[in-house]
Amino acid sequence: MFRSTSLRLATLYTAVFALSVVVLGIITLFTTRQALSRQVEARIGAESAALVQEYRSEGLQGVIDAVHERDGAVGSLDFGLQGPQGEPLAGRLGATRAPIGWSMESHRDRRGDDEAIRILTVGLPDGHKLLVGDDEERIEALDGVVMRGFGLAFVGVVVLGVLGGYALSGDVHRRLAAISGTAEAIIDGDLARRVPVRGSDDDLDRLALTFNRMLDRIAALMESLKQVSNDIAHDMRTPLTRLRQRLEAGLAAPTEQGLALEGALGDLDSILDTFAALLRIAQIEGGARRAAFQPCDLAALAQTVAEAFSPSAEDNHQSLSLVVERPASVDGDAELLTQMLVNLVENALRHAGPQARIVVTAGRVGRSPMLSVTDNGPGVPEAERERLFDRFYRLERSRSTPGSGLGLALVAAVAKLHGADVSLIPAGPGLEARVTFPEPA
Amino acid sequence: MKLLIVEDDREAAGYLKRALNEAGHAVDWAAAGRDGLLLAAGETYDVIILDRMLPEVDGLAILRTIRTSGVKTPVLLLTALGGIDDRVEGLEAGADDYLVKPFAFAELQARVNALARRPPTQDLRVELVVADLKLDLLKRTVSRAGRRIELQPREFQLLEYLLRHAGRVVTRTMLLESVWDFHFDPKTNIVETHMSRLRGKVDRGHGCELIHTVRGAGYVLREPD
Repeated sequence: MFRSTSLRLATLYTAVFALSVVVLGIITLFTTRQALSRQVEARIGAESAALVQEYRSEGLQGVIDAVHERDGAVGSLDFGLQGPQGEPLAGRLGATRAPIGWSMESHRDRRGDDEAIRILTVGLPDGHKLLVGDDEERIEALDGVVMRGFGLAFVGVVVLGVLGGYALSGDVHRRLAAISGTAEAIIDGDLARRVPVRGSDDDLDRLALTFNRMLDRIAALMESLKQVSNDIAHDMRTPLTRLRQRLEAGLAAPTEQGLALEGALGDLDSILDTFAALLRIAQIEGGARRAAFQPCDLAALAQTVAEAFSPSAEDNHQSLSLVVERPASVDGDAELLTQMLVNLVENALRHAGPQARIVVTAGRVGRSPMLSVTDNGPGVPEAERERLFDRFYRLERSRSTPGSGLGLALVAAVAKLHGADVSLIPAGPGLEARVTFPEPA
Repeated sequence: MKLLIVEDDREAAGYLKRALNEAGHAVDWAAAGRDGLLLAAGETYDVIILDRMLPEVDGLAILRTIRTSGVKTPVLLLTALGGIDDRVEGLEAGADDYLVKPFAFAELQARVNALARRPPTQDLRVELVVADLKLDLLKRTVSRAGRRIELQPREFQLLEYLLRHAGRVVTRTMLLESVWDFHFDPKTNIVETHMSRLRGKVDRGHGCELIHTVRGAGYVLREPD
């Protein structure tokens, strides 16, 4: 239990508070005692002065009368008058020997108990001594009150501290245990587990939220990894089966072995292409390339691509032209951006049909740099547009044309790496694939 | 040529060695990085073919050591890693070219031939000449048998590359990389279409062709026999 951080903290705080209660108690005791002493001395001094005054105006007998009168009153001070030889003349303090000035004497009280008494002894002009005193009982009673009060406070602090510490550390302990329990469950394979969130928005709650967001991200990555493995299993088996059949056919018919091997090599190359494309997409999605971003001139990039592909387009009886609306530059990876544009152009060349006109545009939408490839081919049904960016997704009518179904997945991955948005927009007739980059800062 | 293969996979190395021997090269083979390092430093080779992933010592570490010790032999790095960063890393470590496994043997052969040390004066020439074909690097003009040929900028680059590697096979991938700077494989036959246009301009109407297609490998520009 003492390995719990919160309990250790609670114990420490309790000790600090208890100690401060003790220190505060001592200070209070000391100062109240001093204040009370001063008060008592002032009262004694005043009475003594009054009696001296009585002596001056009424003589010795006046003082004796006054002492008798006052000594009997309830709650009053104690008085005493002594002759020049110390003989008691009046008052309860008459027999008490005390030097001139302030002193502390022991005195037997009315009940017969010894009590400490504070006495001011004043010498009268004719040798008599006047004693005025007050017992310390009141001060002692106050000491008791203060000490009891602070004692109770001390006990309260310790009890509350210990109980609170237990309660608090129990709560923190339970919440931390929930987090580590979730981690343990995930280690054991239950990837759907999340840390419970209270909604109190305290630091532990925020930790839980961050933890859950991290888990969501990991789950998404796992999901995409699973998707890739499924895709590979599903879409690589078909060409691999074809390859196998070809090799078997070659073995069975020795005269056509050369042909079979050549076909097999072609199959193998296309499988390797698919594999390379998958790895590349995974690499791009990993995001590590972002570190090497540099300013890229979109117009120059579009020109290179348009130039490279226009002879091929012409050979297909298609036309490929370049439009540079406004020069724009983005921070990015030139190689990946080129490949992205190449994939879009190749998609258009392959799917827009003969006689198609294809336009590569580099420019801006508002302040956002933009690259687009527009064709006047048959377009894509709305329901299928988004799915085209999934790995291996192909339109039914394209199943027979060559292609891995990874071209647009790579486009989507490159766009995402650059924080750009890809959309397929109907161009009536045809399709515009547009990549819009974030506005320059 | 005298070649060194540093490759830990016995079967792959054996196959490469046999094929390169058949192509007329003398081939040494080191299976371990350290042996490769010793051979590379001690002998004189025309080209070193270095596998990037070796047990014990990393191929890149060997490459850096070779370069630090002043060996300038061209190095072709073979790798199973196809990432963009891997290529850059390999070239920065001192490789002259980079080939991703698996590859066609023709591709390897063409690249080895392209890497073999050329006469030192070659790159300082201002004019590239094969038979009656002349390419002026300063004026950026091309003529054949005295007649001027108008080329698009990309076609000019293509012809320049062929002329610089005259007599040696260049592959489609080599052209994509050096002429277009495309380090990926487009599905469209852009090399073929550009090449056919270039050949139309350079060879059409002339008695003998200079640019030839090498089936299953690529192209070669060479003196007529």
